[in-house]
Amino acid sequence: MMLLAGTVPVDGLPLTRGPVSREGQWLVIDGQRVVCTQGTAAMISAALAVTEYLHMGPPQALIVGDTGSGKGSREMYEYLVAQASQLSVDTLTLHYCLPDMGQTKRLCAALEKSKRRPVMIADAASMYAAKAAGLANAFDIFTPDASEMSFLADAEATHPAYIARHLFDADISRTPELVEAASRQKSTAKLMVVKGATDYIVSRSKIVAEVCEPDVPALEAIGGTGDTITGMLSALVTGGMAPVEAAVLAARANREAGRLSCVTPATRVWQMIEVFPQVLGRLSPNKSDCSGDFLKEDK
Amino acid sequence: MVFRKDKARPFEGGGLVIFLDVQDAILAEKVVKKAGYAAKMVAPPPELRKGCDLALEVNLVEKPAIQRVLDEEDVGYVDLVPINTKMAELLDVVKVTNFGEWTMVKAGNMKLSFEKATGIIVNTSGGGCPDIPHLHAQMLDRKVTEAPWPKDIGFTLCALMLNRALEEAVHLWQERERS
Repeated sequence: MMLLAGTVPVDGLPLTRGPVSREGQWLVIDGQRVVCTQGTAAMISAALAVTEYLHMGPPQALIVGDTGSGKGSREMYEYLVAQASQLSVDTLTLHYCLPDMGQTKRLCAALEKSKRRPVMIADAASMYAAKAAGLANAFDIFTPDASEMSFLADAEATHPAYIARHLFDADISRTPELVEAASRQKSTAKLMVVKGATDYIVSRSKIVAEVCEPDVPALEAIGGTGDTITGMLSALVTGGMAPVEAAVLAARANREAGRLSCVTPATRVWQMIEVFPQVLGRLSPNKSDCSGDFLKEDK
Repeated sequence: MVFRKDKARPFEGGGLVIFLDVQDAILAEKVVKKAGYAAKMVAPPPELRKGCDLALEVNLVEKPAIQRVLDEEDVGYVDLVPINTKMAELLDVVKVTNFGEWTMVKAGNMKLSFEKATGIIVNTSGGGCPDIPHLHAQMLDRKVTEAPWPKDIGFTLCALMLNRALEEAVHLWQERERS
């Protein structure tokens, strides 16, 4: 089972955990309805598309309302720290939240002590906090975009807003050297999907695959199209697919969905998510693709 | 299951509010904490000291929100800076990408796209802080000159980067209108 945790932009929405279902364009979690938009909801929607396709149980989600004050983010961290030993999940994906180095350290320490440490995935500000706290190596999977890769490569930065200019100027083709720099500083997770014009799959600091087709440049402009990769990857890994294969598939599926829905910079992410079942049908992932799980073997 | 709890929490900020005098520092701690932000009084490193032996450690990511609180309460301060003095300056460079009918402006980790013919914001992307999906909803389908400024309603460094992207989009739009 996977747990997808993150904030949603709904003021006053209490901390809520439960299996995810869909009602039209709404996600429903323990009776709370959340619209599919950029961020945590897009990530959850993409994971749900995969679990439905593979006939797995639905994802569990832990959501809380937070429009920026950080109150909901803190409640989420506190819940995860307190429940770390009883989460009973195979995969924990941390997503949008107010990055908090202290809470991230507490959470990682609590999960290390638990009998059943989940595969840990971080994207968005959860990834910023992990890197800033010096805990990137405690994570199994990161899914940075090109500018976030520059952030991981910057030894000093604690947020992408403070990366050195020469790193910000780096284009996606410089990913290999950014990966090397990030690796030297122990700012990488075991597996990374670096999202850009070319998606780089990085395993243990080595680029093991590149995905560049179909080429759909407009994806970069659409809010949520990185979140969908994180959601699909979370579901595929939970389903037992080897992480590198899962990463390649998620990257390819995202591009195919962009192509199939003829995206432009004005497309909304839910329009793309709608075609995921069709895309997954074409790419035909199934559980027999599972060829092991080095992340779990590694523990 | 719905959970409600609000326990005391540990704090590790990464940002320092620098002051000229002690009275401002004491007042700042009071108003920042009252507004709901984590903060603790610390001694600033010598290279950041500007006359006062006290500084307020805050979460650097909440820079725009904390500066707004201090400004609204008329508390004097010199700056809000990273504790790590080796960190680069806040990014102030933008990249512009032409997508035919649309223009995408990128500032740091944030991107904003608008329709060239109308100036309407059609998308924002990137980032990871909790105000970003909220700002996304607030800014979409608004003209660049009529959209809310992220620095005014956002809380985080991601919002500051989005603000920088909007500034550039407004500049590009106004140039286009003049030509």
